[in-house]
Amino acid sequence: MIEELQQDDLEPVWRALSNPIRRRMLDFLREGPRTTGDLTDRFPDHSRFAVMQHLGVLEEGGLIVVRRRGRERFNFLNPVPIQQIYDRWVSKYQQPWAAGLTALKTDLESRTRDATEAADRDPDQSTTQT
Amino acid sequence: METPVPLEDHVFSIDINVPRRRVWDAILKTGAIQRFMMNTVLESTLEPGARMLYYSPNRKYVFVVGEVLEVIPERKFSHTYMFTTQSEAPSIVTWEFEDIPAGCRVTLTHSGWTTQVKTHKDVGGGWRMILDALKSELETGKIPLKMRLTYGLMGATAFMLPRSARAEGMEK
Repeated sequence: MIEELQQDDLEPVWRALSNPIRRRMLDFLREGPRTTGDLTDRFPDHSRFAVMQHLGVLEEGGLIVVRRRGRERFNFLNPVPIQQIYDRWVSKYQQPWAAGLTALKTDLESRTRDATEAADRDPDQSTTQT
Repeated sequence: METPVPLEDHVFSIDINVPRRRVWDAILKTGAIQRFMMNTVLESTLEPGARMLYYSPNRKYVFVVGEVLEVIPERKFSHTYMFTTQSEAPSIVTWEFEDIPAGCRVTLTHSGWTTQVKTHKDVGGGWRMILDALKSELETGKIPLKMRLTYGLMGATAFMLPRSARAEGMEK
């Protein structure tokens, strides 16, 4: 039930990512925020109108956040939906890794307990050990 | 002409299907563990000018120190931000909250960068995870397994933090 809900949530993200030009636009925005003018310069094969439309789809998918600075409209890449897709899909196929990490966590935690106890006895020593 | 600048603002946004008030309360919760915020405990009076400290759950370490800049209830919360583990100047974190049909859109802007190259590079992945965890915690009451593991590992390796992250003497 919850998974279905999250899937619906991510629908506009998938839609936004389904187009190669929009993916290239996102790659470009990874370098930093860009104005709409920067984007039309970067994709000269596409009309300003087409670029604006693609930006609209990306914004709907939450993949960009638009900020106005004076007269200019800056498009910022928002990486959060991609993280959500990663968590929703990729982590599922990493169960063996997850199991391994759990073991490592348990191991580290038992060591930390020892280290913390040591630190409580001698605070100066704990900062030098790794 | 392109207009790239090094150390541009980072912007992160996520839609959460709960009322704005709950998102606000989660981010400004003090004195108890904020699970989504990498299991830290925020201590502050949350008044403009007040100091803010993000502690480890056992209060032995402080990961982030800051100063409250602006509080507009359920709309905007802004503060300075400095990692205790790095000797870089403070930057600025601004949380903004707005109603959307499904609940609340929260947007985080990390700005005020000058030469804090290391912090600028490091914070991106953290905020992505924090916002994603915030949504999960508020909507389902749970933090995804992968994040729990990551947060757990971070907690487990806290003993490796430099002396500058020790809580002792910081509460002034």
